[in-house]
Amino acid sequence: MTRNRLYIFLFLALLAGYSYVLWESYMRIFNHPFTPCLFKNITGIACPSCGVTRSVLMLAHGSVTQALLMNPLGIIVAAIMAAAPFWLLYDVLLKRDTLYTAYLKTEKILTIKWVAITLTLLVLLNWAWNIHKGL
Amino acid sequence: MDSQKVDMYLMTNAKYFQGQHLNYIRERLSLIDDSKWGMIQTVELKDPTTILIVSILAGGFGIDRFLIGDTGLGVAKLLTCGGLGIWSIIDWFLISDLTRQKNMEKLQIFL
Repeated sequence: MTRNRLYIFLFLALLAGYSYVLWESYMRIFNHPFTPCLFKNITGIACPSCGVTRSVLMLAHGSVTQALLMNPLGIIVAAIMAAAPFWLLYDVLLKRDTLYTAYLKTEKILTIKWVAITLTLLVLLNWAWNIHKGL
Repeated sequence: MDSQKVDMYLMTNAKYFQGQHLNYIRERLSLIDDSKWGMIQTVELKDPTTILIVSILAGGFGIDRFLIGDTGLGVAKLLTCGGLGIWSIIDWFLISDLTRQKNMEKLQIFL
């Protein structure tokens, strides 16, 4: 993955993410039960990241505890969605690659064995909690 | 390296690489020193078919991306439930070619 590819990908992902969250918050008014999740549509049980959209929306409305209880991963997604546009703009305008090097560094940290094992366990635990909550 | 060894390597490992790279691999392999043979044989290559099966079964969790070494994108895929389901469908068609590209990158270090 080269720098420019990552930035284009991130830009498109942010665009898709923001438009999806906006659309979802609009549809929420009509109480429309919709999920794009393949896993949930097929099996009927929640996937590890089910509830992230709801969590992000709750966070946007200012209720942090509710967002945490819905799905803690939502906080991470919200943080990335909030910070990435500015970081991206900074890098593109000043022709730097701070975001790219940070991305590579995180990738390297994530591949360390004990970090990977701990995070996998946390995601699995969160998944169990998701199923228990019946998201 | 003698051509017999190169042919043997290509015969057993051709499915791990893209077709357009095979000629380049043959050329480079015949040029390099015999002492690197052991190293080249131990390069861990991922089977595109296996990754494709993983992608179909667990693509929504980004496991396929983790396996081929795209950790960052794997995390992104996991957090967004397979890119809202769209990305995981796209990856069913892209992943085997991406696996071959990653294999080439791994071998490239020794060529």
